[in-house]
Amino acid sequence: MSDLRVLVIIPAHNEEESLPRTLDEVRAAAPDLDLLVVDDGSRDATARVARERGVPVVRHPVNLGVGGALQTGFRWAVERGYDVGVQLDADGQHDPACLAALLEPVRAGRCDVSIGSRYVQRTGYRAPVARRVGMVLFSGLVSAALRQRITDTTSGFRAYDRAVMEVCQHDFPKDFPDAPLLIALARRGFRLEEVPVVMRERQAGRSFYTLGKSLYYPYKNLLASLIALLQRPAQP
Amino acid sequence: MEFLSRTQVITAIGAVLLLLYVLDLVRRRRLSEEYSLLWVLLTAVVAVLGFSTPLLTWLTRTLGMMGASSTVFAFGLAFTIAMLLLLSIKLSRLGQENHALTRELALLRHDLEGMRDARAGAAGLAGAPRGERG
Repeated sequence: MSDLRVLVIIPAHNEEESLPRTLDEVRAAAPDLDLLVVDDGSRDATARVARERGVPVVRHPVNLGVGGALQTGFRWAVERGYDVGVQLDADGQHDPACLAALLEPVRAGRCDVSIGSRYVQRTGYRAPVARRVGMVLFSGLVSAALRQRITDTTSGFRAYDRAVMEVCQHDFPKDFPDAPLLIALARRGFRLEEVPVVMRERQAGRSFYTLGKSLYYPYKNLLASLIALLQRPAQP
Repeated sequence: MEFLSRTQVITAIGAVLLLLYVLDLVRRRRLSEEYSLLWVLLTAVVAVLGFSTPLLTWLTRTLGMMGASSTVFAFGLAFTIAMLLLLSIKLSRLGQENHALTRELALLRHDLEGMRDARAGAAGLAGAPRGERG
């Protein structure tokens, strides 16, 4: 099943410092995978450093957020006939050495979305207290809704099969593709699976999750999760 | 015609002036008909309430309002809330459309630049510098 065409989608917003290393690492770890950088309205040289490495870049004229960048990537992947899309952060948090493990369940057809989780096994990652509370809350919510244990709802290290990308290119949460997305996908009949991965500290630049959003985030995520739960599941 | 208070007269005249202004905005195409509907309804209702004292007193008694002016303001407030909600809905849709257009534009621009480069290459201008902003 290794003949599946895989596209690694890297959303990047002002990541000129960490992007080159991330690209090099992905190339080294998985030379057979195609790359796409979605420059989400960067003001720095993000697009240029990617092009210098021969990686195709799609540039949003304004910042849309991770969700929008992913949607652009999905659209690109669907139009060009890719079978699997992998979401990978530009900041170096996600270890490309885990790509093969992440792709394995999708390649084997065991699931439609595989989620790289920091918490399936004990890894080195330690989050601030406030964030840990939120993670436990949303992990509980999603796990209860899905009747399946999901430990890492905020993970940005995921692989999506073609059917999921076809749906998501049109219909996707705008800013944070987290808990509500997982619930919505499961309600549509897609199968999710978690894969233990290693996550590192970000190398440079700033996270998408800024302080100003930290109050809005739980509210929005909770509301969107409940709405996703109330929506009638599509007949597969 | 008998008025209950000076407030009633001022409110009624204000509503009529606002109605005329809204109609003028529509006439000059500064306000689309779609959005004018609620404004015209709001000003017309407030004006009618202001100028028809029997109707106003009857409504006030029927609704159990403490005073006639409360009735007028209650109607004004109801329309204002409806207007704000309508605007929020329109704004959400505009945002979604804007979001989709931005993504579409980014993909098209990538394809366009690729085609332009291919054509420049075919014309023997492969070494020509490309417009690169960052």
